[in-house]
Amino acid sequence: MLFYYLRLGALSYRRNPVLSTLMVMAVAIGVGSYMVVFTLNYVMGGDPIPQKSSQLYHVQLDSGDPDTESDPPEQLTYLDSMALIDADLPFPRTATSKFFAIVEPDGETRPFSVMGRGSYADFFTMFNVPFLFGSGWDRSADRELQQVVVLSRELNERLFGGVDSVGESVLLDGYNFQVIGVVDDWTPIPKFYDVNNGPFDPSEEVYIPWPQIINLDMQRSGNTNCWKPLDGSGIQAFLNSECIWLQFWVELADRNDRQLYQDYLDNYVREQKQLGRFQRPLNNHLYDVNEWLLLREVLPNETRILSALAAMLLGVCLLNTIGLLLSKFLGKAGEIGVRQALGANKASLFIQHVVEAGFIGLLGGLLGLGVAALGLQGIRILLGDLMVTDWIQLDTTVVTVTIGLAILSTIVAGLYPIWRACRINPSTHLKTQ
Amino acid sequence: MLKMKDVGKVYRTELVETRALTSFSLDVDEGEFVTVTGPSGCGKTTFLNIAGLLETYSSGTYLLDGQDVSELGDRQRARLRNRKIGFIFQSFNLMPDLNLFDNVDVPLRYRGMRASERRQRVDQMLDSVGLLSRKKHLPSQLSGGQQQRVAIARALVGEPRFLLADEPTGNLDSHTAAGVMELLEQVNESGTTIIMVTHDDSLAQRARRNVKILDGRIQSIDQLADSRIPATPVSDRALSANA
Repeated sequence: MLFYYLRLGALSYRRNPVLSTLMVMAVAIGVGSYMVVFTLNYVMGGDPIPQKSSQLYHVQLDSGDPDTESDPPEQLTYLDSMALIDADLPFPRTATSKFFAIVEPDGETRPFSVMGRGSYADFFTMFNVPFLFGSGWDRSADRELQQVVVLSRELNERLFGGVDSVGESVLLDGYNFQVIGVVDDWTPIPKFYDVNNGPFDPSEEVYIPWPQIINLDMQRSGNTNCWKPLDGSGIQAFLNSECIWLQFWVELADRNDRQLYQDYLDNYVREQKQLGRFQRPLNNHLYDVNEWLLLREVLPNETRILSALAAMLLGVCLLNTIGLLLSKFLGKAGEIGVRQALGANKASLFIQHVVEAGFIGLLGGLLGLGVAALGLQGIRILLGDLMVTDWIQLDTTVVTVTIGLAILSTIVAGLYPIWRACRINPSTHLKTQ
Repeated sequence: MLKMKDVGKVYRTELVETRALTSFSLDVDEGEFVTVTGPSGCGKTTFLNIAGLLETYSSGTYLLDGQDVSELGDRQRARLRNRKIGFIFQSFNLMPDLNLFDNVDVPLRYRGMRASERRQRVDQMLDSVGLLSRKKHLPSQLSGGQQQRVAIARALVGEPRFLLADEPTGNLDSHTAAGVMELLEQVNESGTTIIMVTHDDSLAQRARRNVKILDGRIQSIDQLADSRIPATPVSDRALSANA
């Protein structure tokens, strides 16, 4: 009977095209608007690395100013990062930060600037970075200060026309780096490994062993916060300072590993306290990816307000739909009476009209996809200057949710009108139809 | 077939109580053709709706084929309507969006019949009312008489034993009405019990019995001359009426 009811729904639409179209538009506007905000929330608030998000931990050590009650710093000092990197523990880990460099291509192409990331060898395996050619470097490259580089797909296109460039050389800030890998398309949203410097910024174009940033005195980029004046001047004074500027991540397979590492961090800070550092109470944290994103409130508050507004608009549209459905279904009293006379029971009439409401919801959902696509295009234009907006688009999940939400919400909106229609006394309308 | 005893129907609102039927008792045997007449508002249609299980009654008993219908739920009443009762209405009540085939098909859909069997039955029924060639037409493309023939086909397609007609010729001219009446008589001759409400005395006289209602009560039941030969002989009818 489902196809029969669907056909009746389509015929009913044709009988009252204006009323039906109004309903479809109400559903489309309500659901489409809601889906614009849903898409933003879904992508911005989604798990950027679902396979490993519960195993990757951001390290937070409270090396902050003892005279204030500020939150623990989000990043680590150079001293602490190096200590954690050098720790004799089996867990994959990386300190990482951004840098800025000038690429000097061969031939007539003019030099241009790129945003780079310094990291340790484990970065690529820890974060499941996909490779188009080659691979990341191994730990010896970190130790031995090898001048190796991993390029983004875009930069490889620009410098080498997209061919396998492993083994080729690239001049970065005048230093010769050997290409050992090319990263395939990789733009985690949000950029969880560095939310301090723009959670929706694009991925970097080059990756080099982090020690080279210091070794070659490359231009550091990103947030740096210091609560204590530097003890002297120059790079060494900066490195020995309490300035925080490095993100630190560790991969811990299970709760035991997590506890082990937490104990290690606490012991490390206790030792540092004896040296006069870490004057605040012990307050070290390990946050997995989703905990970290939540703590850092990566999802802007504005999106919550937008969500509430969109939900209200959806509610208003559905209220209108209830009224329109009531009018439509009560207008079918005669037909409902005839069907009852011919053998329809109330349950079958109820199902027939649920399917009819669902049919309107389906059309509303399809039109709502257009509304959502338009809305997202508007958001892309609006935010285009502020962040990468390629990710703001309808995907299979959003399409499915849009249509599902439209059908479900229209059916829910239709329950009262359907209930009223099915309670009609058939005999009242059979004489007068 | 149909046995009503002291059936009463009261419509109540907050202010008014209206007695549509009072102590209404009537027996109708298998194969009978009974007409019901009376002035407007006398309770004819209420009786027909109760007989067709479209309305409940307030008091008394009603047995359909020996079954007390007062205890039946919606699903069981719908099943009985679908399988035993056919309805014909004054204003045809065809569904305007559905073509003739689909209109006639409706009762069979609710019976859960297979598509091939439904197709065969509907075609046969439309053929019997002379409208098979127009089965893809919409009701609006037919004359009133043709629409009523479709309504009759729809009422009969499920092979009901009991046909309830509420002024089936009320919206038709006399010539067309006569044609519809002849069709109903043929249906009755094939064994289907018919109760027909009418305002037209000449049509009422063509039935075996005529029940006259006044103010919700049976005023009289007239045994009429039988000009037709029923397929199933009806004898020793139990007449039960109270005025």
